[in-house]
Amino acid sequence: MLAFLARRLPSVAFMLLATSIIAFLLPRLAGGDPAQTIAGADATVDQVEAIRQQLGLDQPLPAQYLDWLFGLLRGDLGTSLITNRPVGQLILARLGSTLELALTASVLMIAFGIGLGILAGSVRKGAGRFGLDSAISVLLATPPHVTGLILILVFGITFNMLPISGEVSILRDPVTGFSLLLMPALALALPQAAMIARLIQARMMQIRQEEFVDFARAKGVPRSQIVLSHILRNSMGTAVVATGIRIGELLAGAVVIEAIFARNGLGLMAVDAVTSRDYQVVQIVVLGAVVIAVLTHLFSEILLAALDPRIRLE
Amino acid sequence: MTMSQTPVPARRPVLNEGVARYLRALAQPQGLVGCGLLLLLIAAALLAPVVFPGGVDQQSRDSFLPPSPAHPFGTDELGRDIFVRCIYALQVSVSLVIVSVPIAAVAGTLMGLSGAVSRLLGEGFQRLFDIILGFPSLVLGICIVIIIGPGWLSLVVTIVIFSLPQFGRLARGALLSEEGREYVLAARVLGVSKGKIMLRHILPNALDPIFVQVSLSMIAGIFIEAALSIVGLGIQPPTPSLGTLLNVGIRYVYVQPMYTAGPIIMLLLLALAFNLIADALNAQALKTRGE
Repeated sequence: MLAFLARRLPSVAFMLLATSIIAFLLPRLAGGDPAQTIAGADATVDQVEAIRQQLGLDQPLPAQYLDWLFGLLRGDLGTSLITNRPVGQLILARLGSTLELALTASVLMIAFGIGLGILAGSVRKGAGRFGLDSAISVLLATPPHVTGLILILVFGITFNMLPISGEVSILRDPVTGFSLLLMPALALALPQAAMIARLIQARMMQIRQEEFVDFARAKGVPRSQIVLSHILRNSMGTAVVATGIRIGELLAGAVVIEAIFARNGLGLMAVDAVTSRDYQVVQIVVLGAVVIAVLTHLFSEILLAALDPRIRLE
Repeated sequence: MTMSQTPVPARRPVLNEGVARYLRALAQPQGLVGCGLLLLLIAAALLAPVVFPGGVDQQSRDSFLPPSPAHPFGTDELGRDIFVRCIYALQVSVSLVIVSVPIAAVAGTLMGLSGAVSRLLGEGFQRLFDIILGFPSLVLGICIVIIIGPGWLSLVVTIVIFSLPQFGRLARGALLSEEGREYVLAARVLGVSKGKIMLRHILPNALDPIFVQVSLSMIAGIFIEAALSIVGLGIQPPTPSLGTLLNVGIRYVYVQPMYTAGPIIMLLLLALAFNLIADALNAQALKTRGE
């Protein structure tokens, strides 16, 4: 396991380093002078210069980067130049909403993804196969925002079953909270679930061709047990990795989904921050999204290595 | 007889043969339907200014009329015909992907194949692709918008950067599987230059999946425009694009559901057309490989 980690860690470290550099450079690439922004339009040159020194903007870029990076590691996420509040506080205020959405969506994604995948991998002929294949293809081709809008049109407008916008914390009012959460979470989960289902289906089809399945059949192992302990057992690795990879896209989808369903989460905050040129906030959200995506990917690979000795010994 | 006197066989018309193959692929039923649908949508988008002169911004007092023969999708908050605006919006979506996806396809393929010329360069591009793939599409879009500001150009750049690794990975895959084949070794022994081996020998073997990917990237691009414009970071109003229409439409979804449904119908039609084309190309590619 240690050897496996030693092999994977350099590329993860490289990815995190590259992302942190991109996030660090974002406000600087955006143009505009933060010192001027803080000082206001009618500040004198000396005042702007004083603020620049205070912010450390007169240092060379590598020094600024290291300073910023060590700040992050100490838990100092910087200060918004627009609202003049610590970015950490701003994020904490919105974190709950996005966490509710992301967790519900992840649970739905895993449930639908693995369920559909196993179904599609087991039903091999007739109308059932055709129906499952088509359903997965349609879900796969429709991204979260379009899925979300279609859900609104169908369940919110046509059948009037679910409320279409707003949010109530699920902790405060579980019923209303959940009814508001269901559609956005489904919208986020379904496209990613279809992706997972497709991978599991393909993997199950592939394993059916393996000799050990033929052998089990020849030995007279009952069909259900072949599916459960031979085919499924060997397909779970794919399911784990596929889930790990999709979490990142799922989180990013929250940006649009929160806007569509009027939820006050981190995604909406990021969009508002871009519009109001609050780059200190955006850079942290971008960095956070990529770091979470990379780490879940790594975590899923570790889990896979734990499940399947062939991977870690290779 | 020295090497220079050996008669050089005439160059085989690789591309012409290939073009004929792709045309045959598109002549399959799903290819024909896909191409027909796509051409219909493009023609509608191009002819919109002729058929509905001035209709895109023509306001009237009749806001939120329900769908009728005169206004198939009804009218919006300013009494403008939603169907006409949807047709105009196709111009933005289609022009975006027609510009950006081919750029990404050519650049990405060359980056992926560059390993044939210089191993270091090839590896470098792979690391670059890793970084890009680490950025979910919308996060990437946000970064680009910050750097160059919202609008058509930043959408093009986003779609190009987002699609690069997909082409790069495909080309790289073809390179790795073809590199050790005998015909490549033969070409190398004969002293064919590395660049020529890359473009003339390996590239044709990488093209099939790349054309399928072009079609799929077009869909992704169209959806990226919609996503960024819905949150207000894409095309800026008053230019109608499928995303900006949805941005406003969703606010009026109770009074005028067609304001949301109309652009979605267009999005799905475009996606369907490109999907059918991708399917047809893919079927042909599989047939050629004898699967």
